[in-house]
Amino acid sequence: MSLKRTAIVWGIVWVGGITALHGALNQQWFKPAPKSAGASADGARAGAAFSGPKFSVGYIPVTCHLTCPVTNFINKATDSDEMFKPMRFNGFPEIKEMFLSNRLEATFILAPLAMSLREQGVPIKIVYLGHRDGTALVVNKDSTVRRVEDLRGKKVAIPNRYSNQRIMLHRALKKRGMTLDDVILLEMSPPDMPISLQTGAVDAITSGEPFMAQTELDGYGRVLYQAKDEWPGFISCVLAVREDVIQTRRADVQALVDGIARSGKWIDQSMDNRMHAADVSATQYYNQDPKLLRHVLSKPVDRVRYSNLVVHRPDFEEIERLGIESGVLTGKAKFDDYADPSFVRDNNDVKPWDYEPKKQ
Amino acid sequence: MTQSPQQVTPSAVTPPAPRPSADDAAPPALSTRFEWSRLWLPLATTVAFLFAWHYAVILLSKDRDLFPTPWKVVRAIIELAEKGVLINYIVSSLFRVTAGFALAVIVGVPFGLLLGWFGTLSRMFNPLIQVLRPISPIAWIPVAILWFGVDDRAPVFLIFLASVFPIAVTAMAAVQNIQPVYVRAARNFGLSRSQLFRRVILPATMPQILTGIRIALGIAWLVVVAAEMVAVDPRSGGLGYLIIDARNAGKRYDLVVAGMVMIGLIGLALDALVRQVEKFDEVRWGYANK
Repeated sequence: MSLKRTAIVWGIVWVGGITALHGALNQQWFKPAPKSAGASADGARAGAAFSGPKFSVGYIPVTCHLTCPVTNFINKATDSDEMFKPMRFNGFPEIKEMFLSNRLEATFILAPLAMSLREQGVPIKIVYLGHRDGTALVVNKDSTVRRVEDLRGKKVAIPNRYSNQRIMLHRALKKRGMTLDDVILLEMSPPDMPISLQTGAVDAITSGEPFMAQTELDGYGRVLYQAKDEWPGFISCVLAVREDVIQTRRADVQALVDGIARSGKWIDQSMDNRMHAADVSATQYYNQDPKLLRHVLSKPVDRVRYSNLVVHRPDFEEIERLGIESGVLTGKAKFDDYADPSFVRDNNDVKPWDYEPKKQ
Repeated sequence: MTQSPQQVTPSAVTPPAPRPSADDAAPPALSTRFEWSRLWLPLATTVAFLFAWHYAVILLSKDRDLFPTPWKVVRAIIELAEKGVLINYIVSSLFRVTAGFALAVIVGVPFGLLLGWFGTLSRMFNPLIQVLRPISPIAWIPVAILWFGVDDRAPVFLIFLASVFPIAVTAMAAVQNIQPVYVRAARNFGLSRSQLFRRVILPATMPQILTGIRIALGIAWLVVVAAEMVAVDPRSGGLGYLIIDARNAGKRYDLVVAGMVMIGLIGLALDALVRQVEKFDEVRWGYANK
């Protein structure tokens, strides 16, 4: 065969073959569309409460965002459908870019990052919290660092300059008469933190769980402070929604926030629920070892909490003040600009899902 | 005009170097020894490398859990295959390379040929190409996410960007470097523009264009992996995605290295596939002249 003929024949075979394979294996082209479960009379089934096209909700595999997979799997179990499409990312820059290009209606995002985006004119509103606490600062177990003061001159890894972990470190240092200039800050993706600590590339790491707990489980990490002790009620990530979506599809945003809120209460309802949430999220959403999430959600049980997630003005005004002090916020956007607490006003109004995990 | 245009093809102007045929090949014994060395030399190096790797991990690594031995990597590949994700990820990555690379060839070759043939076009576009060319496709990732989101289009766009410039520039240079004697001879024979293009320009530039395409394919494969590490939907995955996903999973560096090994092996297979093109006469004459 001539070159031309070979190129044409093989080109067609290859392009056609690989496209068909990709369609069949990864895009479900040849599978019939799933039949909708239909509207349910039970108001608890959130999927039925949704009117328009499903929202895409961004999250990353950290326990700060656990209510996202939990809401999704409870929806699927009770409604045979999902009220939103959870979209997993590996870092906040990608989430931010997807949000900026209007490809995500809602996302879990670092609180100061959402506030900073608002300052930069991005129409984003914080509507609910992702969790409380659930962060630690960890050093190597053989490290000479015994107190926060010992961090002077040490390399500390933070997940992002707009993370509340950075603000918490600023707060902790300030309390002890120090500033962020006294430590060497490095921005690092949380999954890379444990190995960096283990190999001595950095002296301390701080990010959302489960990456901090992993160092404890593997026996080389020592917690210098837990968020719950250093800054009780610490907020790292929040659920943020595009302002235009709130205006045009308020009822759907309400359904989403209600779903997330009910999941939070459900997780905190019992240890069985926590362990079920750990198992399903680890295996079906996070691709992590369930043992790790089980550890984070139980030892101690208040390491990370999912109740009391209503957006309160004083919490955010404190973050705002500390954010300005530590140089990541300008103060251009105020609470009323970046937050909309109207979806859930009172924690007592939130009822947990009526969902019993099946016994294994 | 009685001459056939066939007679002015480059192979007619410059006779191809004699190729070894079955008849004039080396004696059978020598040939067999040659084939053996082609097999055992790389095999021996690979085995030595694997041994060195294994013992380096065993003897030098402080924590053997962290960096995997070759056998652990093999087990990780088997684990991925058993989970049923390996094939999906390979197909995802190959699909993205195929789509982006095919687009780059479809756009890059004609564009490069035009630039090479028309000096004005070259003067118009060359500065722009030379500015865009050195920008790593990785730098385009944020833009790709803004424009295309995290579905297949983002990595396809990045692969297109990475491959189109080397292809276009090689095609342009190939036309500019055609020996003028070919064109003059063709014109003397009174070939029309389209005949000149099909019978002279295209065959004369083909070896160089294919070299450019081969280099671009290597770059495309490099880029798909980097692009998947940031800009793909986890539901369709990919080999680059596998690496970043393994980092999420705690101390699964065996999966990270398994991803790297698969990328390397598929890169090798792709290159071997493209090298088959060199067997065709239309390409061989170009190498024979060198």
